[in-house]
Amino acid sequence: MKYKLYYHQTSCIGCETCERVCGFLYERPRVHLYRVFGGIPVPIGCRHCEKAPCIKACPEGALFKDDDGFVLVDPEKCIGCLMCAVVCPFGAMDLDPITKSIFKCTACNELRARGLNPGCASLCPAEAIIFENTVNIFEDIRKRVAEKLASSSLNL
Amino acid sequence: MTMNFAFMCKPNEVTRTGKKVAVIGAGPAGLAATGYLVCRGHAVHVFDKLPYPGGLMVFSIPSRRIRPGHVLEGAKVLEEKFSVEFNLKTKVIASDENVHEEGDDFVDKVVKLEDIINEYDAVLIATGIWKSPKLGIPGEDLEGVIGALEFLYRWKTYELNLLPRENIVDVSRRKVAVIGAGHSAVDAATTALEMGAREVYLLYRRTINEAPAGRYEISEAIREGIKWIELVSPLKVNGSRHVSSITLVRNRLEEPSSGGRPRPVPIPGTEFDLEVDFVIFAVGERPTPPPGVSKIGIQVNEKYGNVQINEEFRTSVKNVFAAGDVVTGPSFVGRAIEAGLRAGRAIDRYLSRI
Repeated sequence: MKYKLYYHQTSCIGCETCERVCGFLYERPRVHLYRVFGGIPVPIGCRHCEKAPCIKACPEGALFKDDDGFVLVDPEKCIGCLMCAVVCPFGAMDLDPITKSIFKCTACNELRARGLNPGCASLCPAEAIIFENTVNIFEDIRKRVAEKLASSSLNL
Repeated sequence: MTMNFAFMCKPNEVTRTGKKVAVIGAGPAGLAATGYLVCRGHAVHVFDKLPYPGGLMVFSIPSRRIRPGHVLEGAKVLEEKFSVEFNLKTKVIASDENVHEEGDDFVDKVVKLEDIINEYDAVLIATGIWKSPKLGIPGEDLEGVIGALEFLYRWKTYELNLLPRENIVDVSRRKVAVIGAGHSAVDAATTALEMGAREVYLLYRRTINEAPAGRYEISEAIREGIKWIELVSPLKVNGSRHVSSITLVRNRLEEPSSGGRPRPVPIPGTEFDLEVDFVIFAVGERPTPPPGVSKIGIQVNEKYGNVQINEEFRTSVKNVFAAGDVVTGPSFVGRAIEAGLRAGRAIDRYLSRI
């Protein structure tokens, strides 16, 4: 079954767990927590788009999908032109000053290879980043929407 | 879905080292360290004064932000799949120094830190910030004056069916003043509203632009019905036995001479009384290492009580480490989790050398 890394924006409480766990694993985090408009927390990281514009924009074919459909960079092929950063709607890209290649969220490919889940989703206390199969993700979304509709109609 | 503290390994991959680590405090830092350490094969025993693990994630942060079950199930995975031993309702003290702190209501067993230090190969202190400092103004010992943490914690214990409703600070149909503008202040104010308080004032000495919780959180609270009064400082709490009002003075902001946030300066002659039945102060919690730690050689900051550590998370006692809010003071869940993971890694390195 297809697994996705899903950011449930409205559940984010701004606790920084995603960014901090990522920083622990990779020293330079690939997901960042921003606070905008007076403090609304927004985690910024790769959504591993199904029709990823970065893959299409890359002139060197350095961006590709792994067997599970997550977007990775081949640092050998990457020339650091930032075309992927131009087209990415989610600010997922960053440039490694030493290798001069793009680095980004890999959805913790090494953990996944061992049958484990990405760090951010494993530890997000607010259930705002989840790693799940698509059936469960959409089930979860519908449930959250149903709860929201119920509470607004009951004026809770 | 559950929080997975041992996210870096599967239970069947672990090779036991035979080393034993005691983690004191089952909040975000303690549980994250525990998850790391069990993946490295060490046996971990956790001590916590509360009846459930999770710390402030379970006992202070409102359930609509963090679902308690999400955290508790995560702790259960540690217990069932990684054989972590949870010693709950257990308070750790050093040098026989037993003082009452917030969250102590459930303690039915006291263990000496010296014994733990002798018995385990390494010890992590991750006991957090269970002390709401008072304001230092007249009248603050009146009935009805309470710290935000104590107020939230009592509500959560009722919500979790741990204590009967009589145990909560019941503000329903009453007027409440919350002093402060950080996350605890906003949480206390919105919880008071949820409990059915007639009016809830959020009082802050600076303006909404300087509020530590951020303009957005404050605006949301105002939308929910909180009455926001900025640029005021409390002078005294009035009442004969129970609070009846609070005297405030208006401030103006002055640009600081040496950088930093604008300084609130009271304007003489602008004092006024606000009729309230409860005063909740949320002016920054203080670190609470096991009482008496300094007497056994663990250095703490003299003013605030923060445990002092080096870059390897080590305290001044050889096999004792510390991480999380007990080191940094109030911060964010994520920073405590990261500190717990890094302390776990530091302890693992230390254990590989002994």
